[in-house]
Amino acid sequence: MPEKKGGPAVRCGGIDVGSSAIKVAVVEEETNGGELRLLAHGVERIRKRHPLTVLQELFQGTIEDAGLSREELDYIATTGEGELVPFRTGHFYGMTAHARGALHLDPEARAAVDIGALHTRAILMDERAKVLGYRMTSQCASGSGQFLENIGRYLGVTLEEIGPLSLQADDPEACSSICAVLAETDVINMVSRGITVPNIIKGIHQSMAGRYLRLITSTRASGVVMVTGGLAADVGLLQAMREAAAEQNVGVEVRAHPLSVLAGALGAAIWGAFRYRKLAEKGVSLSA
Amino acid sequence: MNFVVGIDLGSTTTKAVILDESARTLGRGITNSRSNYDAACEIALAEALINARFSRIASELVGTGMTADEQEKCLSELEGRFRYQQFLGQLRVLREEIARVLSALDHGADYASVTERILGAIEKEAVALFAEGATRKSDFFRDLAGSAYLRHAEDEAREAGLSFDLLVGLYDKAILDVENATSAAGTFEDHAAAALARIESPPRELVSALERVSRVPLRQLASVGTGYGRARLPFPEGRIRSEILCHGLGAHAMFPATRTVLDIGGQDTKAIQVDGDGIVTSFQMNDRCAAGCGRYLGYIADEMNLGLHELGPLASRSQRPVRINSTCTVFAGAELRERLSLGEKREDILAGLHRAIILRAMSLLARSGGVTDQFTFTGGVARNPAAVEALRKLVFENYGEVTVNISPESIYTGALGAALFALRAVERFDA
Repeated sequence: MPEKKGGPAVRCGGIDVGSSAIKVAVVEEETNGGELRLLAHGVERIRKRHPLTVLQELFQGTIEDAGLSREELDYIATTGEGELVPFRTGHFYGMTAHARGALHLDPEARAAVDIGALHTRAILMDERAKVLGYRMTSQCASGSGQFLENIGRYLGVTLEEIGPLSLQADDPEACSSICAVLAETDVINMVSRGITVPNIIKGIHQSMAGRYLRLITSTRASGVVMVTGGLAADVGLLQAMREAAAEQNVGVEVRAHPLSVLAGALGAAIWGAFRYRKLAEKGVSLSA
Repeated sequence: MNFVVGIDLGSTTTKAVILDESARTLGRGITNSRSNYDAACEIALAEALINARFSRIASELVGTGMTADEQEKCLSELEGRFRYQQFLGQLRVLREEIARVLSALDHGADYASVTERILGAIEKEAVALFAEGATRKSDFFRDLAGSAYLRHAEDEAREAGLSFDLLVGLYDKAILDVENATSAAGTFEDHAAAALARIESPPRELVSALERVSRVPLRQLASVGTGYGRARLPFPEGRIRSEILCHGLGAHAMFPATRTVLDIGGQDTKAIQVDGDGIVTSFQMNDRCAAGCGRYLGYIADEMNLGLHELGPLASRSQRPVRINSTCTVFAGAELRERLSLGEKREDILAGLHRAIILRAMSLLARSGGVTDQFTFTGGVARNPAAVEALRKLVFENYGEVTVNISPESIYTGALGAALFALRAVERFDA
């Protein structure tokens, strides 16, 4: 085993506790700011189980996948609602973590839009992931990930199926912003009117896309915008966002990465490595 | 026997009330609303007819020499067995649907034995679920089977190393078809004999009452529909009335001195002012937001893995209600989880949530013209003791001493109003 303390490589775990899923990333950074290797990662939806139990199982599994034990990690960084994790070394704000993760996944990104279960945040950043400004959705869950999941449940489709179905739409059913809870009945109404599932989903995606785009442009972002968070895997939503961006000619390019859902966990882990080195320079030793 | 039917197709539940020609209630039926409105109507009516047959058996038992206790005991036994038969029928359809969904999946076969075990366990537990004196979290198959399924699926997924998500997704898919299969729950005729056969040496009074009642023909004269989904009801246009009118008339029929009606339904909250004949003079409705409607509590119940019936009694135990900061239902759900993880008491949080929904209703009442004696509270939420308690308190604080009427059958107010409109149509036709 390589000498850890003072040695060049730093290994960190990043845990992003969301309101519907927990994301874990284990990284190894060769030198300060140097090559970063993602050793292992995992995502688990909470689905009404106890978050801490889900978290512990997932975290243990992920570090085992990385071939490590908890003692071999130099830093365990949390973000999101991760303050509840008893064995963390430190906690980072969601905004900074997502910005850092997004930049790592796409170095050209100058903004990130984190679409989670409850909130959506548009984050404007510079080339070093410094947060320059942000905008968040209000205290209403209309158009959130939870909203989309509720709708999926009522249509009998899983979150994974939503994106591909949306792409099959031929005549999207326009829908204005509707309450995340009552949307279920609106959807039932649409089904009973004979509107196809792809057209319902696409209509909802379009309404969400319009809302997110307004959020992004209100931060004055331009250029590459990385979608992060759980909904970055929804190809239908991404497509609707790209269409809306092209239609409104707002000068943003919407991108996503296969690991976008991990952006928060990844960003936290990277910041963890950074902080670990800073502290080590000062002679402060952390026991993770 | 001739009857008229009123159907209130709500966003959460669909209710049916059947009346005889002299406006006496023969039966009431309820089911959860679903994507197929025709099916929901059909099932609610079927349930009302079942209820009518059971009521008829009850009245046939009177004067047979059985004591009131004996009558009640054998009736509830029969009904328990009947519900059990219905459950088995629905479980059978669920099993078929899950098998069908699995056969279309790539690795569906890997899951077949697991779902078989889960369904087997649910079937075994069902006996206890419908036994004498057993309490059920809900009256609906979706909830009863769903909570048992979730419980077993979590264990099975962990043991077999299979995806919990996929198992849950299977149920979500299959249950839709179970609900829309109108034949799944069955009619009185389908299960009455089997239910009787499951009773060990049934009293002969019961056997003969059941036999007589089964032979009574029921003939529908007219129907009127109302509720959120009324535009989609399989009724001709002339047979549809607005919810406001039906709730006004229904509340008036239950409590003739009513002047103000508050109806908190699944997704609408209505404050209605009526005159001495039950005619609506003004009303206010909530905008399209679940905060302040029954769905709010439904969502919270789901979050807590509780049945809707359990929320109120639990909240009533609170000594120190908390103040809920969120308005949005989904955020209130997140706030609930957060407060729970901080160690706050379930009953205190729930009491706060009940107060929040009633506060929204109070502002609606104020905008409709306030509360005038007598005040009638209807809709599904009127069955919730904590909501009623919060409402009584706030009405007293704002409007002083007012008679508050709540009927145990208040969830059927809209359907009753619709049935009365149906009866008027029949009378007009006859005259």
